[in-house]
Amino acid sequence: MSDTWKACQSQARHCLEAFRQQRLAEADLAQLTTLLDAAQPRQGLLYLQLRNTNPGSQVLGMSLFVDGKMVEPPADPAQWPYQSVLAAIAEGWRVISFPELALLMDEAVPQTLGCEFILEKWT
Amino acid sequence: MSRRTCDHPPTLTDSQVLEFCRQGFLMLPGAVPEQINRRAFEYLETDTHYEPTRILDFDWFQDQVICNPTAAGAVRSLLGPGYGLPVLMSNHRRQCPHEGVGGWHVDGGSRWGPQLKDLQVFYYPQDTPVEMGPTEVVPGTHLVPNTQRAMAHYGRIRGSASTAAPAGTIFITCYRIWHRATAAPGSGIRNLLKYCYWRSAPPARDWVREPGFDMARANFSGPAAGFGEQFHECYSAAEMFCWLAGQHPHYQVTGGQSWPLPALRNDLPYGFNPALATV
Repeated sequence: MSDTWKACQSQARHCLEAFRQQRLAEADLAQLTTLLDAAQPRQGLLYLQLRNTNPGSQVLGMSLFVDGKMVEPPADPAQWPYQSVLAAIAEGWRVISFPELALLMDEAVPQTLGCEFILEKWT
Repeated sequence: MSRRTCDHPPTLTDSQVLEFCRQGFLMLPGAVPEQINRRAFEYLETDTHYEPTRILDFDWFQDQVICNPTAAGAVRSLLGPGYGLPVLMSNHRRQCPHEGVGGWHVDGGSRWGPQLKDLQVFYYPQDTPVEMGPTEVVPGTHLVPNTQRAMAHYGRIRGSASTAAPAGTIFITCYRIWHRATAAPGSGIRNLLKYCYWRSAPPARDWVREPGFDMARANFSGPAAGFGEQFHECYSAAEMFCWLAGQHPHYQVTGGQSWPLPALRNDLPYGFNPALATV
């Protein structure tokens, strides 16, 4: 159970007690609404472009989207938070898209950047 | 009126042209004199339009920036004689600090292949350290086909390079190289002028010939190795070099361990077209 969810429960109990004592205020409910909004699970996206289709192969590119915005990893690849898809999986990320093999069969087809895995994590 | 061409002689050697084929860009640090940088900066304070094309009307700008001897010699080496001068000037002017990082992209109109029919050139009239948001490029990606729409989600890319440079720096790029704007936590105005030169003559190996340069044994491997199939970047760089040398009809890849794969051989590589050795 997340701290945010625990805060929601605590505020709900506070509101219920305040209601019983006939001193429930609009601010109490507004605070509960704010906490409920914050407690909504949000999908984070992690794009990892790898050297080949092996999820343990070297990461060529990385982009991370959390809380509605892109979070830039460090410039030095050695400092990137994940050095492979397997490393990201070990940290709780879940693969939701694998490289499209049909696009890798012809050298004449645009190559783009390596083999792209897309992962998600709900927080 | 703007002049239509420069007649500076070529300055790049075989190895430098090959390096451009491998990297897709060429930095010319501090090529423009400081007094011209100041003059350009002052002019751009009066013309803040994103296309300050009128700057092309000034002789001082034509002489020292557009026909800058260092830059013009490099452009002449890559585009041949009688190349066309810019008729459009763009300015990626930025008030710093600026938080946003631009998305990776290739500019609209990119065409993929070995040909080099134009050059996109950038000029920093002021010091542009990393704090002032210099353009970032991915070396070698002029050989890695992609589309603008398919790369906007890219973040960090292994091997990317900053163009942070002192005032007066000109950098010459293959139009289709992957690039983006970077965050600028510094303060002040950052101008980045962008303009294009145009080929008007068929390609030919009429740059500075380098004694001992051996196309059969040259190293064509590039920095974007690993983005696509193994050795593909060697094929593409060799093909681009042959195209620039006017020898594209003689370019061939027979496959396997043949030319232009890099290797420690005890004789000429198989697959190398002898016609290329006589150019």
